[in-house]
Amino acid sequence: MGVRGFLQLVVTQATMLRRNTGWWISSIMMAVLSMAVFGWLFNPDTQPFDLALVDEDRTESSQALVASFDGIDNVTLKEGSREKEVAALEDGDRGAVVIVPRGFERSVGDGAATLQVFYDNSDLIRIGYVTSTVEAVVDGYNESVLGQTNAVTLEKQAVNTEDVRFIDFLTPGMVGMTVMWVNLGVGFMLVTWREQGILRRLGVTPLRPGALIFSQAASYALVSLAQVVIVLAMGRLVFDVDITGSYLWLAVTVLLGVLAMLSIGYTIGSLLHTSTSVNAVLNLVAFPMIFLGRSYFPLETPPALAPLVNAIPLTHLNDALREVVNRGGSLSELWTPWAVLAAWLVVCFGISIRVFRWQ
Amino acid sequence: MPPAAETPPPATQIAPRTPPSGDAGSPGLAGADVILAVDALSKRYGSLVAVDGISFQVRLGETFGILGPNGAGKTTTLEMIEGLRKPDSGRITLLGLDAVRQRRAAQERIGVQLQSQALWPELTVEETLRTFRALFRRKAAVQELMERFALVDKRRALVRDLSGGQKQRLSVATALVNDPEVVFLDEPTTGLDPQARRSFWELIRDMSSAGKTVIVTTHYMEEAEELCERVAIMDRGRIMAMDSPRELVRGLDFDNTVECTFAGSVERERLLALPAVHDVKKENGAHFLFTTDLSATLAGLMGLTDGGGERVQSLQVRTATLEDVFISLTGRRLRD
Repeated sequence: MGVRGFLQLVVTQATMLRRNTGWWISSIMMAVLSMAVFGWLFNPDTQPFDLALVDEDRTESSQALVASFDGIDNVTLKEGSREKEVAALEDGDRGAVVIVPRGFERSVGDGAATLQVFYDNSDLIRIGYVTSTVEAVVDGYNESVLGQTNAVTLEKQAVNTEDVRFIDFLTPGMVGMTVMWVNLGVGFMLVTWREQGILRRLGVTPLRPGALIFSQAASYALVSLAQVVIVLAMGRLVFDVDITGSYLWLAVTVLLGVLAMLSIGYTIGSLLHTSTSVNAVLNLVAFPMIFLGRSYFPLETPPALAPLVNAIPLTHLNDALREVVNRGGSLSELWTPWAVLAAWLVVCFGISIRVFRWQ
Repeated sequence: MPPAAETPPPATQIAPRTPPSGDAGSPGLAGADVILAVDALSKRYGSLVAVDGISFQVRLGETFGILGPNGAGKTTTLEMIEGLRKPDSGRITLLGLDAVRQRRAAQERIGVQLQSQALWPELTVEETLRTFRALFRRKAAVQELMERFALVDKRRALVRDLSGGQKQRLSVATALVNDPEVVFLDEPTTGLDPQARRSFWELIRDMSSAGKTVIVTTHYMEEAEELCERVAIMDRGRIMAMDSPRELVRGLDFDNTVECTFAGSVERERLLALPAVHDVKKENGAHFLFTTDLSATLAGLMGLTDGGGERVQSLQVRTATLEDVFISLTGRRLRD
């Protein structure tokens, strides 16, 4: 079979996938709905939190600063001593503690005052909302009261997480989940074709299994890329999620993810005999992957599960996507997840080509 | 993986080997125009012998039938020739090629319709033909195929919206996308109503007159009689007889079959003693009397009832057909 025959196969299969409207819409709707739900309705970013203010300076300037925190949406103000409020923060009762240190007024006079801000480090999801709220108040104070920016700066403490909104975290996870759903589905298609006798029919033509598999991979990659564009465009246009890294690294990551998931789908479809069992196993594989692979929530991994989580391809696909979308995508961070995805790809394609059966 | 659902796994138990039955009734064919030569072909699944050392040859341009009941090994035989299954032993020479070792080269030049209509529901008629055609080097004209199979009006219709007959025609058309030299049809008319079957026979005759060699399996003896220049009768993995339908029937030692049932039981010896009865077989309560002189046998049969207990309950008379060849060879009917 020549190049034209191969391209004809790719186009035909992409056409079939496109006409299978229910399938591709449902696979992308899960991502779109999740983003809508968490982006608008239950946005954990904007949940109310308690903000403690500790005024150790007790001067006119410090009181003016404290007063400027009055009346912010979603924030309940608390006041007390440093020890008491930090303890409350450690108990999870405060979103953040802002400390106006002794000598604040004098420092403002020098034009270089500092506030100490302690964050609740355990709640990754809302940390961005909390910091941006405090920053907005201090910026406003700098502008309107002092008339100069950066007169008062923040000294953040106990912050060793990224400053991302939840939707920033979620969007790459939804890309990963969509890529996984769609491409694992090739296993279902394979077994359906076998049940319907289509593989037998192809088996009496000169078509080689490798050519069939690669043309399917190409058509699935086309469909997957279209879906990735839709999800990322929604993130960008509706929720302002920036892609901070290069599009090339994004494309490489998506392609590796597509191929790794396809190869797993093929392995399942080659080893099992009926569409019902393939369907069951795909669900059994996919649902735990979505949660263990952190598509939705940045769960802390219990040590017992760590080896499993680290072996899951979706974990690495999501890691690589977040690296590119949220953190600028440096190659030094990307090569590990890429290597893991490539390893899945090589092993599973190897298995599925070996055990491939026309009937 | 078991064979297709319609074909239960071949039920043949390991039997004492008999000499290859390929020479049963078949004159040796001239080497030059042999397009398919099967030699001592065997296939077993576990302890079941599906195909038991069969040999036969098919001539260029011939329509060759393999007739037998379900489970006779017809489909397995075709699958080995088509390159879907590996034989356990034996040789297949197809178009001068070793059908096992050079299977892709052979597959370039054959057309196959399997028992199940393997079509993609999401494609249109034209896309289906173009997709199958893309798999071959030699390509037939899609437009011509659609015209020949009366599918032009449906070219943009999705396969899932086609009627059963249209799907059947499309399925055969996909077997011709590479303008094949040999066409294999596995029970192509099973499940069709009599009228659709007759119009399908026309399609097969068209292929034959276009110079293609056609190899067809069937369990309908009238189909084999109607279409095939030569027929191999297959049962339990072996070829029981092979010749033209007319010669096979002529080879019987009788001209008519009387099928009858009795109110009570009648000993076989009494039936055998009737005038002109050559042989008697019993199946499912019915007796088959093979006779060389119909009137004499019928007169004798009526005479039996005078005794009292052996009143004839039903009676059917027919001239011998391939069905009778099968019954006389195996003691069983082609279909239940």
